[in-house]
Amino acid sequence: MDRRPLLSRAPRGFSVLGLVLFVAAIAALAVFPSFVKKPYVLHMGVVLFLAVIQGQAWNVVGGYAGQYSVGHAAFFGIGAYVTMMLLEVNKIAPWVGIWAAIAAAVLVSLVIGSITFRLRGPYFVLASISVAEIIRLATLHFKEFTRGAEGFLVSEIPTLKIGATEIEFFTKRPFYFAALGLAVLTIIANWIVQHSKLGYYFQAIREDQDAAHSLGINPAFYKNVALAISAAFTAAAGGFYAMFVKFIDPNTVFGLDISVQFVLICIIGGIGTILGPVIGAMVLVPLSEILRNPKGLVQLGIVSSDSGFVRFVEANLSNAHMLVYGILVVVVILFAPEGVLGVIRRLASRVRRRASSRGRTEPAATA
Amino acid sequence: MAILDIKHVSKFFGGLAANSDVSFSMEQGMIMGLIGPNGAGKTTLFNCITGYYPPSKGEVTFKGTRLNGLQPDQVCRLGMVRTWQKVRPLAKLSVVDNVMVGALARTSSLKIARELAMEQLKVVRMDHKPDFLAGGLPIGERKKLEVARALATKPELLLLDEVMGGLNPAESEEIIQLILELKKRGLTQMVIEHDMKAIMRISDRIVVLNSGEKLAEGGPREIADNPDVIAAYLGERVE
Repeated sequence: MDRRPLLSRAPRGFSVLGLVLFVAAIAALAVFPSFVKKPYVLHMGVVLFLAVIQGQAWNVVGGYAGQYSVGHAAFFGIGAYVTMMLLEVNKIAPWVGIWAAIAAAVLVSLVIGSITFRLRGPYFVLASISVAEIIRLATLHFKEFTRGAEGFLVSEIPTLKIGATEIEFFTKRPFYFAALGLAVLTIIANWIVQHSKLGYYFQAIREDQDAAHSLGINPAFYKNVALAISAAFTAAAGGFYAMFVKFIDPNTVFGLDISVQFVLICIIGGIGTILGPVIGAMVLVPLSEILRNPKGLVQLGIVSSDSGFVRFVEANLSNAHMLVYGILVVVVILFAPEGVLGVIRRLASRVRRRASSRGRTEPAATA
Repeated sequence: MAILDIKHVSKFFGGLAANSDVSFSMEQGMIMGLIGPNGAGKTTLFNCITGYYPPSKGEVTFKGTRLNGLQPDQVCRLGMVRTWQKVRPLAKLSVVDNVMVGALARTSSLKIARELAMEQLKVVRMDHKPDFLAGGLPIGERKKLEVARALATKPELLLLDEVMGGLNPAESEEIIQLILELKKRGLTQMVIEHDMKAIMRISDRIVVLNSGEKLAEGGPREIADNPDVIAAYLGERVE
């Protein structure tokens, strides 16, 4: 299976082209709401940015450090619950409360990490699942504190004052910009981590933990660092999610399907790369939205309201989106183990090779 | 003072004594050969010295520090590093990145680590392909990469576990020259090897293990003439 790509595909250092594209993409997304004002489109934009943040966050511990956590709902839910409860119970604004949520998630990650990182491979995966389930069940059980299955509803998000400007979180617009900003921050943080000593150490542990250990790396410590970084961004995503959808209960934020979603975004896009989670989110979010709510396509004006496709999806697939996810994952693992990004890179290098071999034969022909 | 002092080290796996009561010490700058039949406990001894296994009994002292209970990463930072019999390249990282991981034990700057790494690649004569993926290298270069990566951690004592295993004669000769070159630079080395001619050429002293116990210790000539060693391991006299 290994096609032995002899040249390393991850040229380290600064790519001017990459930076230009990154800034251009941000600029395009930032002016996007000035042209497209449909709340539904902005809503999908927020969902997409959230998925990017989730993927990038998981990537730190799952992609670089190679620890496949399927329990990230724990940190997502803690982020959501702490932000929500501080707002609803203590009347603390979410942009303040989210920092407490991040701190709480990091603390919990250190506890979880120091227990579960004694395990390797599939045993770690199982442990991560059970920890998230324990937290979900505890949240359901301790009703006096968490309101159990009743959950929390946002009554009102206070107005944010930055200097003279006042931002009211009534429409989708402020959420769109906040999510975009958070996604950009997460990507930059991920880039910095990857291009630092930490990134090297994470990858060394992923490739061979024992070899890493012999080279002066304490695997337990660095795995915990990776998990803490990941938990911080995951909690931020969770807190933001709670404010955005305005209602949370234990099953929607601590559920196993949330944990699986983190992994899927990265597997589909390409694990252990900066671009992978972005591509994964771009595939997964539209797909799941079309499956769950095919009428959205009608709202966008892409298909007409009596389209056979919409009727087919509604009748046959809208309750089976998990099935479609499952099939998608099987296909990706079988045919594109390095994700969509891996496929793109393979195609690109094939084109490049063809171009370079042509370049070599031409001078020979003229001579 | 001895750089490494191994005193009465035993390692039991259940009822099996993989090492029992092994003692010897090494002086600064020397090359110690460690030989013995398969299953004699050579690699287990490496694991006990470098912190992968805590010895069941006995103690290991490196530069005056007692190592019992220290982890491999701490041992590495003290200045002792090992290579692996079955090579362990960080397959999806490039050659220079592999060596940089070692160098990062001594610096936090990627720039300095890269310079250190390129220096070590030059030492093992692999500086012509720093950007190749480690996973795609042939065995001879993987072995050299292991040595370069270990050297990048700036060790005072290098433990080489069958670094010539699986190599052709030309590649083995290159490794022998490398080991001798490193000795000239003052690096202390312990070498596990099955190639008797090679081990006789490079070692200042040799320890022979058999069934976990130390069978003999001495200079190369002494070991080659030792009737116990001939009976247990060599089978015939080595010239």
